[in-house]
Amino acid sequence: MTAHKGWRDFSMVFALAGIAGFFALSSPQFLGSRNLSMLAIELSITATLALGMLLVILPGQIDLSAGSGVGLLGGIASVLIFSHGWPAPLAMLASLVLGIVVWYAMGSVVVRERMPSFIITLGGLLVFKGLFWLVINNRTVPVTAGAGSNLYSLLTTYYLPRPLGFALALACAAGWGWLRYQDRKERLENGLEAEDGEVCFLKSFITAQLVFLFAVVANQFRGVPLPFVILGLVAACVTVLTEHTPFGRHLYAIGGNEEAAVVSGIPVERTVITAFAIMGAIVAVTGFMQTAYAGASTTTVGDLMELDAVAACVIGGTSLKGGRGTAFGVLFGALIMATLLNGMTLLAVAPEFKYIARGAVLALAVWLDVRLSR
Amino acid sequence: MTILRAERIVKRFPGVTALSGVSFELRPGEIHALCGENGAGKSTLIKLLSGIHPYGSYEGTLEVGGKEARFSSVADAEGAGIAVIYQELALVPEMTAAENLFLGREPVRGGLIDWQRMRKESLRLLAGFGLDIDPNAPTSKLGVGQRQLLEILKALRKEPKILILDEPTAALSDTEVGILLAKLRELRGRGIACVYISHKLEEVFAVCDRITVLRDGAAVTTLEAAKTSSAEVIRHMVGREIKDLFPRKSCAPGETLLGVAGLCVADASGSPYLEDISFEVRAGEVLGIGGLMGAGRSELLMHLFGAWGKRMGGEVKLAGRALSPGNPRESISKGLVLVSEDRRRYGLVLDKSVGFNMSLSSLKKFLRKGLIDRHAEAVANQGFSNSLRVKAPSLEAVVGGLSGGNQQKVVIGKALMTEPKVVLLDEPTRGIDVGAKQEVYGIVNELTASGKAVILVSSELPELMGMSDRILMLHEGRVGGRFPSGASAEELLAAALGKS
Repeated sequence: MTAHKGWRDFSMVFALAGIAGFFALSSPQFLGSRNLSMLAIELSITATLALGMLLVILPGQIDLSAGSGVGLLGGIASVLIFSHGWPAPLAMLASLVLGIVVWYAMGSVVVRERMPSFIITLGGLLVFKGLFWLVINNRTVPVTAGAGSNLYSLLTTYYLPRPLGFALALACAAGWGWLRYQDRKERLENGLEAEDGEVCFLKSFITAQLVFLFAVVANQFRGVPLPFVILGLVAACVTVLTEHTPFGRHLYAIGGNEEAAVVSGIPVERTVITAFAIMGAIVAVTGFMQTAYAGASTTTVGDLMELDAVAACVIGGTSLKGGRGTAFGVLFGALIMATLLNGMTLLAVAPEFKYIARGAVLALAVWLDVRLSR
Repeated sequence: MTILRAERIVKRFPGVTALSGVSFELRPGEIHALCGENGAGKSTLIKLLSGIHPYGSYEGTLEVGGKEARFSSVADAEGAGIAVIYQELALVPEMTAAENLFLGREPVRGGLIDWQRMRKESLRLLAGFGLDIDPNAPTSKLGVGQRQLLEILKALRKEPKILILDEPTAALSDTEVGILLAKLRELRGRGIACVYISHKLEEVFAVCDRITVLRDGAAVTTLEAAKTSSAEVIRHMVGREIKDLFPRKSCAPGETLLGVAGLCVADASGSPYLEDISFEVRAGEVLGIGGLMGAGRSELLMHLFGAWGKRMGGEVKLAGRALSPGNPRESISKGLVLVSEDRRRYGLVLDKSVGFNMSLSSLKKFLRKGLIDRHAEAVANQGFSNSLRVKAPSLEAVVGGLSGGNQQKVVIGKALMTEPKVVLLDEPTRGIDVGAKQEVYGIVNELTASGKAVILVSSELPELMGMSDRILMLHEGRVGGRFPSGASAEELLAAALGKS
């Protein structure tokens, strides 16, 4: 079992290395700091939504309405700012609250009325798309009222000042290492198995190096992009939620065996509804980032993003039946999807072939997963 | 003259020997009953005859019509003329009676189903069998008895030489039983041999020619129905001494921990299932609950815990305070836990680790600033794992990969970590080996010694008699009898059969 798991992880690393290597050879710009910064922003948007999707898939549900929701919630904030003159933070807050309320309601219907989430959110996909086009009146609505910038537009134009970027990287690496050290110490004190001291140090060291490498590359362009910081926060929250809270344990238990979860005294309904409500908030945040990245709210914002999010989850080892998947795996899956899209855009691949390549990679990744986890 | 012969059949499952050398003979045109307690090996024998357990998975020989039979699938067995009617009906409820009758062998004309012919032929078949059923009626609209007869008719379409019926009357009313038995006699007249499995001895004596008693996976004896009595059959079914297999250490009972008064419960469809059940269990006591399959033992425990049925009347009190129905969460927090008979379905998240499962019901205990203190959790898991002697490579090992006995210990560990007052154990030793059974009995003794109350449901009479301080037998959803620990197996079985 563990041996297979190791193979699985490696197979995804090889896949990523293969994809990145191909693009690096085909286009010299691919590894340039400018493109890598763009890739970081694209990854942040895809991965944030995918992390939300993970919380919904873990208990065995799915959210097909996420892409339409990204467009709708981003569009509502744009319209409030551009047409109604709301201050950007207030408009975004209103849109965020709306997202939480609507997804809470969808979750409640799924749980209380025993409607399959596939159907409810498929309805959501269509309804939100229609509402979105109504809200922006089929036009292009900028995210700022005038020529200046606001919190909304800054979402993709702001980069951390270089020293701050380094400081943040340092803080992350140090904090990560410290947590690992504490964990090991406590395990040893309690007489439990712990990993070897050198392995522990080496892992922390390599992680720190990767974090610094990223800060250096980003600083060669304009600095660490703000969406990447947001992704970092969301990823940290989702990791803590899934691995360190009863809520997260309950998600895995419900997805793994719902009947056993009920008999174990787990509040199944409340847990699933909460997962949907968190998804609503994440859809709103993704909506802001994606709309700001596009520069304005237009009818195509959010198209098919729900499927990219599901693909990232599945490539990252999440089981669509529920009960299996980690935040780290999802980040990895999102990195593969984002790299693929970014590289193809760089090579000016025709959209037809972009779709075909994305689909093929998804199918291939899942096939590999099934083969290797046997 | 035999049509079916099974010779020295041995069938082993991992950790359990289900059949240990069964020999059995069926003559053409006889109705032959198979009797035995739950777990005696009846179902395994039938699965062998019907090809579910294929040739090669057992030892010994099967002969049908004088030739050795090597079934590799159900289709092979059907081809040899064996048809089986299982307890759970195999009709598609959404389809009409005619569609079900012809399922898999629909009459075809030009590649399309010939509906007219199907309807005509089903009318003829139904009439020929004396069944007054509209062939166009959806099967779900028919009564259980009619569905059972339809099932038999469907099996007869394959023109079997041997018909096997597994508990066919479990859900039937007396009138329907009468019709069914009459049909069986008619089939016997047509030379079809029948294997008839039933717990209801009066039916067995009403219709069967010979009776074979199975016990502990062996055929004990075959009796002529006309020359024996139900008392003799019961004696053969039980007939073993209870040695020191059951190390029950009784202790002085304390205060009443669980009180159940006048409990009436309906099932999901709203029909009454449990009626007027009252009992109490005191600290330090093991109350054994027995009964036949379908008597309502598991349902009673599931209902007390809050995971099954609709309360129609009566009251449940835990340590003197009323316990509201239908809320497992409240039950656990107030000190009532259930170890379900179906650990794979209700007990474990099989893909997850031993540790994940053990602490699943007790995560609240490990909260520190809203987060799980994983070290405290691991320490507690390790403690329970050690004291229950769970044999697993580590706490991170996937629970689905452990043996049945170790899985059961994980489920028990999960229940005990919630610090319960009353522990409901539903078939805690099902499917686990003898050594693990002894360990489970040891755990039961430790529980009562530490002042907890235990309710033990078991379908194995010796276990029930050996481990309980008092015994309650259920019969068709009601209390069939109450016994002290010294009651004899005959008395208990009679109560379970509703004969007291």
